[in-house]
Amino acid sequence: MSEARPPEVAEGRPALSESVRRWLMRPEAPALVFLVLLMVVFSLAADGFLRGPNIQTILTQVAVVGIIALAVNQVILCGEIDISTGSMLGLCAVTAGMAATAAGGLVLPLLAGVATGAIAGAVNGFLVTLGRIPAIIVTLGMLYALRGVILLITGGSFVTGIPADTRVLGIGTVLGLNTPVIVLFTLFVVMALVGGHSTWGRNVFAVGGNRRAARLAGLSVDRTRFLAFVLVGVFTGIASVIFLGRAGAVQTTAGTGIELQVIAAVVVGGTSIAGGRGSALAVLVGATLIGVILNGVLLLGVPSVWQDFVLGALILLAVSVDAVRRRMVGDEA
Amino acid sequence: MIRNLRFSRELVLLGVLIAIMLVMAQLSPFFFTLGNLLDTSRYFVEIGLIALGMTLIIITAGIDLSVGAGLALVSVAVGFSFAAGLPLPLALVLGLLTGLGAGLFNGLFITRLDLHPLVVTLGTFALFRGLAYGLSDADAVSSYPAWFAYFGQAYLGPIPGQLILFVVAVIVAWIVLSRTSFGRYVYAIGSNEEAARFSGVPVWRVKLALYTGIGFLVALAAIIYTSRVSTARADSGLGLELDVIAAVVLGGASIYGGVGTVAGTVLGVLIIATLRNGLVLAGVPSTWQLFLLGILVISAVFLNEFFRKREE
Repeated sequence: MSEARPPEVAEGRPALSESVRRWLMRPEAPALVFLVLLMVVFSLAADGFLRGPNIQTILTQVAVVGIIALAVNQVILCGEIDISTGSMLGLCAVTAGMAATAAGGLVLPLLAGVATGAIAGAVNGFLVTLGRIPAIIVTLGMLYALRGVILLITGGSFVTGIPADTRVLGIGTVLGLNTPVIVLFTLFVVMALVGGHSTWGRNVFAVGGNRRAARLAGLSVDRTRFLAFVLVGVFTGIASVIFLGRAGAVQTTAGTGIELQVIAAVVVGGTSIAGGRGSALAVLVGATLIGVILNGVLLLGVPSVWQDFVLGALILLAVSVDAVRRRMVGDEA
Repeated sequence: MIRNLRFSRELVLLGVLIAIMLVMAQLSPFFFTLGNLLDTSRYFVEIGLIALGMTLIIITAGIDLSVGAGLALVSVAVGFSFAAGLPLPLALVLGLLTGLGAGLFNGLFITRLDLHPLVVTLGTFALFRGLAYGLSDADAVSSYPAWFAYFGQAYLGPIPGQLILFVVAVIVAWIVLSRTSFGRYVYAIGSNEEAARFSGVPVWRVKLALYTGIGFLVALAAIIYTSRVSTARADSGLGLELDVIAAVVLGGASIYGGVGTVAGTVLGVLIIATLRNGLVLAGVPSTWQLFLLGILVISAVFLNEFFRKREE
């Protein structure tokens, strides 16, 4: 619960510095500062970095990760984790791709992807809440089990020949904006509203902040967590159609390793891995930051084999900053 | 005594192992040959060595997801430093140091910053694998002097060399966990870390030792692996952490800490190795194996917690 801290500022201090201080205490503040600094550095180092088209390219590239991360954010805010999203994305893309080649259009593939994701997410949520199995074990197991399901369904072959009217969600433009970017920002607004203003959104913070207190206050802890896992499935389903549109085909390895980028986006943005503290804006900032860094190092000529290394270093840096900040502020959340 | 026997998880696991072996023997006539049983050990020693370290870590309510990536990093460190002209013995020392360093890195992050091992090792999962890819430039080194094969392919009589190393490691792990104060500390931290700290248990030092120790075991496994397949590649050990964690939780260690035994883990390793080997012999495609392994991990943890609750 980020806003709960009482102001501990000396009397007579100007109101401006107080509001700046409060802003700096927000979960996404360090990442936002870091993002601005980095964009300045890259725009000086690499010509053409700060142009509109390049920024749009970066946002389009991170759309799939960002959309899934918006939902995983809710799971992490609950104090849980979901590392099955890589295989889940692959599976959703396979079913959506099959629906696309069979029926075409946008509605049926989207429904197929979302339904697949929702089922997989419900299995995760069911095992975590009713099965009382730690989320890390459930989703680690599902990461492998779902990849197995992909291979069973496809028999190891690619899904190809995705019709153009399905691909529009991945490669279309509206008023000069790429559709993935539009979807990302729409879902961001939805999650910002849900997180701050819906009962479930508030319950998520309560469950992650102090599960015992939430239960004693009469919240349904299991229902809150279950819905968070299902939401991950639904958003992964939506993202899978964008993925499908951009790639034009689905390999059996589709989505491998995405789960790491998703978690990186969430924690780099400033949502605490311990739960209870974070925001939808943090995810958007985190995803953009990752996109900027990967794009920037590419512009600077760093070979792409170093991508995982950069990502790992980024996750560690983010969680260290979070830990140091928690210690300095004395916030146990 | 009877009551103890009835609830002994190790006995149940032994029964499961025998049942699986009988089923596999039905599926494939090659399964119950001595040659096959001993050859299976070539595969499970690498998992088994790491699982011993993981058992202690899981008993402290910790976890290490970076072991597969660590194996790739050590393998690349050995292979590519050798290819760059370093004599192989020195390259092997470098590999061991890399493993120790990687484990120490995890341990320092976890203890100094008081971070959850899950987050740290998820970060190093990407970091180590990325380092392996970067250093090797996604290439492979696969020509070594003949004597290097000794580590992963040698026989002492009919027994594979690494099996002897594993038996020694099991005995050491058993003594450490059940006969030393260090072992008591491990259980104490897992049961209640706060209480352990107040009772004077050096929690940080124990944890640092455990994560560094598993780094060493990963390095040993990596050298055996590299020798066995005589290739160093950045994508080796992919998904290894799942096999290892599966073996440990199957062996009865609780992911919530405080519970677990070396004997249980050894049986867990044997069950997984038998299952994998048997499924291969029976001609089950590897895609199904991943699926079954995923299901196996989830159900093992579920059954563990279910029975634990009933005992209480």
